[in-house]
Amino acid sequence: MASLLNKVINALEQIVLEVTDINSGTVRWVEGEGEWFNDLYPDSIPNETFVIDEETPFLLDFLIDAKLVWQETENAKLRSGLWTELTPDKQELHLEAIAIKQDQHSLLIISNQKENFKLQQKTKQLAREVLLSYDRLFLKSEYLHTRLVSILKQPPEPSNINKTLVKVIESAEFAVLVTSSDFSNNIENPAALKLFEQETTYSAQPSKPIDIILRLMQNQLPEYERILSTNSSWDGELCWISPPSTLKWLKIAFYPVKNKLNEVENWIIFANDISSIKHLVQRNEQLALQDMLTELPNRFSFWQTLDKHIVADQSFYLLYLDINEFRRHNEFYGHDEGDKLLIELSKRISTALKTSDFLARVGGDEFAIILNKVNNQADCRKEIEHIIECINKPFHTNKSESFNISLSVGAANYPNDAQSVEDLMKFVDLSAYNGKKKKRNSIQFYSQSMKDASRYAIKVEQELRLAIKNNEFELYLQPILDIKTNCINKAEALIRWNHPIRGIVSPDDFIPIAEKSGLIISLGQWVISRTCQIAKQLSELGFEIKISMNLSPTQVADVNLFAFLSTCINDNQVNPYLLELEVTEGVLVDDYSVAEKLLSNARTIGMSVSVDDFGTGYSSLSYLKKLPLDFLKIDRSFIKEIVTDDNDKAIVRAVIGMAHTLNLCVTAEGVETDEQLTFLIDNSCNSVQGYIFSRPIKVDNFIKLLKEQNQT
Amino acid sequence: MIQKKICLLGASSVGKTSLVKQFVEGIFSEKYLTTIGVKIDKKVVTLAEQQIQFMLWDMEGNDSYNVFQERYLRGAAAYIIVVDQTRASSIREGIDIHTLARQVTDCPAILTVNKNDLPATWHIEDRENEGYQSLFDLQFSTSAKTGANVEEMFVALAKLLLKG
Repeated sequence: MASLLNKVINALEQIVLEVTDINSGTVRWVEGEGEWFNDLYPDSIPNETFVIDEETPFLLDFLIDAKLVWQETENAKLRSGLWTELTPDKQELHLEAIAIKQDQHSLLIISNQKENFKLQQKTKQLAREVLLSYDRLFLKSEYLHTRLVSILKQPPEPSNINKTLVKVIESAEFAVLVTSSDFSNNIENPAALKLFEQETTYSAQPSKPIDIILRLMQNQLPEYERILSTNSSWDGELCWISPPSTLKWLKIAFYPVKNKLNEVENWIIFANDISSIKHLVQRNEQLALQDMLTELPNRFSFWQTLDKHIVADQSFYLLYLDINEFRRHNEFYGHDEGDKLLIELSKRISTALKTSDFLARVGGDEFAIILNKVNNQADCRKEIEHIIECINKPFHTNKSESFNISLSVGAANYPNDAQSVEDLMKFVDLSAYNGKKKKRNSIQFYSQSMKDASRYAIKVEQELRLAIKNNEFELYLQPILDIKTNCINKAEALIRWNHPIRGIVSPDDFIPIAEKSGLIISLGQWVISRTCQIAKQLSELGFEIKISMNLSPTQVADVNLFAFLSTCINDNQVNPYLLELEVTEGVLVDDYSVAEKLLSNARTIGMSVSVDDFGTGYSSLSYLKKLPLDFLKIDRSFIKEIVTDDNDKAIVRAVIGMAHTLNLCVTAEGVETDEQLTFLIDNSCNSVQGYIFSRPIKVDNFIKLLKEQNQT
Repeated sequence: MIQKKICLLGASSVGKTSLVKQFVEGIFSEKYLTTIGVKIDKKVVTLAEQQIQFMLWDMEGNDSYNVFQERYLRGAAAYIIVVDQTRASSIREGIDIHTLARQVTDCPAILTVNKNDLPATWHIEDRENEGYQSLFDLQFSTSAKTGANVEEMFVALAKLLLKG
C-alpha cells in the first residue's frame, strides 16, 4: 500500500515533507521523489531533514502563512499559488506548495505543476491578447469619436471644419468615414481605402468603402432599416467576403451626428479589421473545446456534437473506447510515456476513421467516436475491427521498448438503443465496462439484456421518486438481544418499500439504485425522521430501546446530515441516547475525515455508533482505534459456518477479543441456530441479532414482542 | 549584504516581466509571454559605498483572470506599480492596485509609466495626472525595450531605501 501510495505521489509529481520544526522551517523529506526536486534542493536526501531557507524565497515566505495552518488544532489546508524557480542549469520549475494539518501531522507538499502551468499560460495568453486587442481598438475609436463629434458640432465654417476634419481623420490608424446625412458626400481616410481595397480584375469599378459597408449592413443586419429610420447608432461585427480572396471581419461603429433639431447632419463610421482578433478568439474557443494533450475535441465538445447529431435525427453508432490497463501502463513506463501513448493512439484511431466520423477524448484513457453512415451492426463491427487492427501494431517508448495495448469498445446505436445524449453515453459506457472485464480487445454492443437491466434501473428510479412523494415506505425493526440479560435492548431499523403493484420490495433491489441516483438522501432523511418517531413512541410506552439506522456512503458524505439529525431529534424530542448510527467499513476507510467528523458529532450529543458488516470490507484495524465507535457488528457470513468452520471460529473469537480490548461491544448478525448462539455466548459476544429470535417485523409487532417480554 | 523585497504590480501586459528582464539580464524580447503566478529574480545594485540585493517579485498581472493578492506584499521594502502609456486603462488599474496595496503596507511606492518608446495614447487631464503623481514616492517613464530609465529607476529606489 505504502509503495503504491509512493507511486501515486511520484506520478502526481509531488514531494511530501513533514515539518519537524515550524519555527526554523525544518522539514523531513518523507514521501515522493523526482529529479526536479533534486534540482530544487540539491543537498536534500530522502528521509533526512533540511531547512527551507532564502534560496527559495517564495516558499520561505509561504511558511509564514503555513505556520498558521500547522498551529491549528483541527485539520486544515492552504495552497501557496503557483510560482517559478530557476534550477542551477537555468531550467524553469513551476511549483505549488500546500501546507496541510492532518491528524496532528504538519505536512508540506511541494508539487511540480508543469502541466497546470502550461495550460494556464496557454489559456491566459490567448485571453489576454484578445483583451489587449479589444482594449486598444476601443480606446482609439472612443477618442476619435469624441474629437470628431466635437469638431462637427462646431459652428458651421465649412472650410475650417473640413481642414481640421481631414487632419484628424487622416492620422487615424483605422478606417474613418464621415458622410453627409444621405451618404452622398463623404470623406474617407487612407486607412479606409486600404481596408476596402479590391481586386479590380473582377470589378471594373471598385465600390466605395461607404457603399460596401452599407451593403454589408443591409445584408447582415435585420435592424438596418430601423437604424436608419430612427437615426440610431450601431456597432458590431460584419463579415466582408469579396471573391476570390477577401475574407475580413470588420468591427464597425456607426454614429449619427445630430443638430439641435435632432436631425442627422452627418454620419461617422469607423471600421477596424478584426480578422486577427477573431482568429484569436476562435483559437480560444477551440481551446475550450479541445483536449490539450491530443488536440482532439474534448468531452465538452463531444457532448455538443452528440447533441447536434441527435437533433439532426440521422442514425449513427456511438463508440466508447477504453484503454485496458492504462493505469498499469502509466505506473510501469511513467506519465510522459502514458501521454505519448495517448497522442499516438489518437492519431492511429483518426487514421482509421472516415472524414464524416467524429473522434473525441472524453476522459483520461477514454475516447468516444460518432460513426456516421453505418448501415447495421455488422458494418459497425467491421469499422471497430479496423480501429483495433490499427492499434494492434506495437507502440514504442522513447527508449524504443515496444509494447501492445488493448481496447474495450462499447457501441450503441441511435435511435435504436437510446434517443438521448445521456442514455446513449450511459449505454456505451455500460457496454465498454462489460467488455472490460475480459482484459483484451473487446467489442460489446449494447444488448437487450443490458438494455433491460438499464431500463429497469431507470424505471425503479422513477418509481422511487413517486414512492418518496407517496410515502410508500415503512420501517421494520429487527430485535437485538443483550446476551447477559437475554432481553431486547436494541433494534435495527430496516426499510421496506410497499410497492402499490409489486408488494413489499426488498432494500437490496432499490437501495443501490437510490444510492446511484442520489435519491438516497431523501430516503435516508425519511428513515432518520421515522426512526426518531419510533424511538419516541417506544419511549413513551416505557421501552427504552435503542434503534440503529444504516447510513449509506452518500449520506455520510452529505454535509447537511448532522444538522438534519439534530433537527429531527429536537422536533421529536427524543433522547439521542436511543439512537444509533450504523456505517459500513468501506465508508470509514474511503472517507475517513468526513466520517470521523460526523460520528464524533453524533457521539457528542449522546448517540452511539456501530460498524456494520464488520469483516467483509477492508478490515483495516487502524481506523478502529482512531474512530469514535461503540459497537462492531460481525457480518452474518462469519456466523453462518461458525459451528463447523474453524477459520470462522478463529475470526469471530479474534474480532470479539480485539473489540473488547478497544472497549467496543460486539453484536453478531445472522444468528439462526442454538449452536451458533452457544458459541457466541461462550466467547463473550455482547449481543445477537437473527432469525433465531425474530425476523425484521412491523413496529406494532415489535411493540407486542416487547410487551410479551415484559410479561415473562 | 542588505536584501530588499521589491514587488512589481500592475495590470496584465504592461511590461513588468520585461522591466525585470531588462534590469537583471539587459535583454528585451518582443514576444509577449504572460506571467503565471510569481517569479523571483535577484540583482545586486552597487551604489558608491554600499551594495543592496533586490529580490524582485514579478507577479502575474491583475485582470479579470487574476485578482490582486495582498499577501504577496508581506515584507516588501517597496513596490513598483507599472502602467502602460499606450493603454489608458492600465493607469486606472494601477491606481486601483495601489489603493489595495496601501491597505496592507505603507512602504515606498513607485509609479512607472512603461513603453515610452511607443506613442502615448493617454488623454488624461493634467490635473488628474498631477493627482496620480502625489500618490507615489517616485515616478518614472521607462522603456523595457530600449532600457530607458530602467537602471535609473532601480538605482533611485536603492538610494531611497538606503536613505530610509
